[in-house]
Amino acid sequence: MIEDITKEEKFSIRWVIALKDEAEIIIQQYRMKLLSEKSVFPIFKNSEETHWLILSGIGRHNASAATLYLYEKSKAPKWTAWINIGIAGCGVGHFGDLCLVDKIINNSDGKVSFPSAMKNSPFPRMELLTTDIPIIDYTSKKLIDMEACAFYDATSKFSSRELISIVKVISDGPSNNIKNLNRSIISKLITTNISNIIKIVLYYESLSLDEYKRLKKPEIFYKICNQWHFTVSQQHQLERVLRRIATSNIKENILNLLKDCRNSKSVMNILNKQMESYEVDWRNA
Amino acid sequence: MIETIYIEKKIKDHPRTISILSKFKKARHIEIDKYGEVFNKHNQNFRIQKNNPALILAYKKEGYVLPAPEGFGIGSSKNYYFSHMYNCIYDCRYCFLQGMYSSANYVVFVNFEDFDDEIKKIIQKHPEDSLTFFSGYDCDSLALEKVTGFAKHIIPFFQKHPNVDVEFRTKSIQIEPFSLIKPMDNLVIAYSLMPDLISKSLDNKTPSILKRINAMSVLASKGWKIGLRFDPLIHGKDWKDLYTKMIIMVFNSIPVSSIHSVSFGPLRFPKQMFKDIFKLYPNEPLFLGPLLQNKGIISYSNEIEQEMTFFCKELTAKYINESQIFKCSA
Ligand code: SF4
Repeated sequence: MIEDITKEEKFSIRWVIALKDEAEIIIQQYRMKLLSEKSVFPIFKNSEETHWLILSGIGRHNASAATLYLYEKSKAPKWTAWINIGIAGCGVGHFGDLCLVDKIINNSDGKVSFPSAMKNSPFPRMELLTTDIPIIDYTSKKLIDMEACAFYDATSKFSSRELISIVKVISDGPSNNIKNLNRSIISKLITTNISNIIKIVLYYESLSLDEYKRLKKPEIFYKICNQWHFTVSQQHQLERVLRRIATSNIKENILNLLKDCRNSKSVMNILNKQMESYEVDWRNA
Repeated sequence: MIETIYIEKKIKDHPRTISILSKFKKARHIEIDKYGEVFNKHNQNFRIQKNNPALILAYKKEGYVLPAPEGFGIGSSKNYYFSHMYNCIYDCRYCFLQGMYSSANYVVFVNFEDFDDEIKKIIQKHPEDSLTFFSGYDCDSLALEKVTGFAKHIIPFFQKHPNVDVEFRTKSIQIEPFSLIKPMDNLVIAYSLMPDLISKSLDNKTPSILKRINAMSVLASKGWKIGLRFDPLIHGKDWKDLYTKMIIMVFNSIPVSSIHSVSFGPLRFPKQMFKDIFKLYPNEPLFLGPLLQNKGIISYSNEIEQEMTFFCKELTAKYINESQIFKCSA
C-alpha cells in the first residue's frame, strides 16, 4: 500500500536546540508536548505535527546525533525547514542581539560551510565558529558556539541549504563574562527575542509550504498505484503525466478512463494519449 | 536587490571587484576560496534561490572560449562562445540553465582580459576561416551589463578585429554600450523573441516583447545590425496566428536593411535536464505540451517542429533573403 503522506496541506518545521532553557519559550509558543520520557534525546511536537523539537545537549557529536534522530523519529518530509537556535559568544554586537549565520567554520578541521539566510531579514548576519571547548578569546569577532557546524552538516544530508537556518543570540563577549551565564539568563535571552524568532519561523513556514505544494503528488497518484503495480521508474512517469493532466484543462474522470486497464502499461498508454495531442491555450496559461 | 556577495579571496582587490561592490552598498560580503564551494554544492534549492540570488565574484581559470554546439551558428565556418557570467537575472521557463546548475546564484568572472587573450589566440590560429563568437551562452549577454560592464569592455576588442563576427544574444533592453559608439559591421545584437502572449507566460522578469522591439528599432536607427532569434519556437493553440502577428510586427518596426539574420530554434531538452526542470516547476503550462521523448531528447514531435519552422521561415522569407535565415538545432 502506497501511503499519501502529503494529504493535509501543511508546512514542516524541525528544531534542534542544545539546552532546555533555550528551548522552553519555543516549546510554549508552538504548543509542543514531550513525546516520550524514554527517548534517547527528548523530543517535543505540537498536535498538528508541524513543529518538532529535539534537545540535543551541548557539543557537535550530540547535535549531529540528535539531528539524525529527529529526522528519523519525525519522518521529516522533504519540505521540512530545519532551525538551530541557541546562545553564542561574540566579540562584536550586543548582549541579547539576535543574529543569523551565513558562514560556519568548524574550528577542529577548518571546514567552511555557507548556510543561506532568510530573505530581506532585518537581523544582522554573521560568521560563526563552532568549537569543541568554550572559547573566551573573542578577537576573531565571529559568533562562537559548540553545535552549529554539526547541525548544518547533518541537515545538509537531507535538506537544501535554503531550508536550514542557524539563529544565535549573543550571550557573552568581551564585556559579558561567560561565567555570569546561568539558566535564567539563558532563558531570558531567548524569551526576549521571541517576536524576532516568530518572524523567522513565519518565513520558513511559508518556504516549507511552497515546497510542500511543489512536491505534493496528485491524490489520484496513490489511488492508481494501489490499484495496479508500478515499478519505481513507472511511478515517476505516472507522477509526471498526472501532474501534466492536473495542470491541463482535461476534465475527464481519470479513474473512469482507466477502468478497463489490466496493467500499469495500459494505464500509462491511456494517460499518455491524453497529453499527446494537447494544445496549450496561452490565453489562459 | 543583491543581499549577499561572495568574493573569491584571490580577486578581492581586483579593480573590477571593487567597482562591482560599489554598486551594492548594502550587500553583505562573504569571502570564499573558490566559487565552486558555494556554486557547485549539491544541497541547493534552485527554485527558492531564484527568489533571492546572491552574486559570486570569481576568477575564471580556464575555458574562456569554447566551440559553440553544433547548429548554433549563423553562417560562419567556425563558431565559438564565451560567458563572463553563469546564470541569468531573468527566469525563462524553458531556459536550460535551470537544469544545468544546482545554483541560481550569479557568478561573474572579473578577469575579462583573459577572455580577450583567448579570443585573440583563436583568431590567430584560424586566419583563413570565417569566425563568429557568441557572447551570452551561459547567461544573457547584456542583462547585467550595468553591473559588469562586460560588453563595454569586449566591444573595443572586436573593433580591432573587424574580420571576425561577434553576436550578443539578449532579451535585455540595455542598449547603452551601443549608443556611445559607431555601429560596427562585425557586431550583431540578437534578440530572442516569441509571441507576446506566450512570452508573458514563459519569459519571467524579462522586458516585454514590445520593449525588446523598441530597443531593436532604436539600435537599427543608429545603424546597428539586428539578429532575430525565434528560439525556442513554442507550440500551442493558434500558434500560427500568434507567430504571424509577431513576425509582421517585428518587420514593420525594423527596417529590413538592418536585419543581419533570422534564426529559428526548436524547444529541446536532454531527458535528465527535462526531469530536473519539471521537478522544479511541475505546474508550468510549457510542459503540457505535446512533448515526446526521442533518443534521450524531450521535444515536440518532428512534424510539429518542422511545421513550425517551415511556417515561420516562409513568413520571414517574404521580408528577407533566404540566405539570412538559419535553423538552430543546438
Ligand atoms: S534570458 Fe536567456 S539565459 Fe536568461 S533566463 Fe531567459 S533563456 Fe535563460
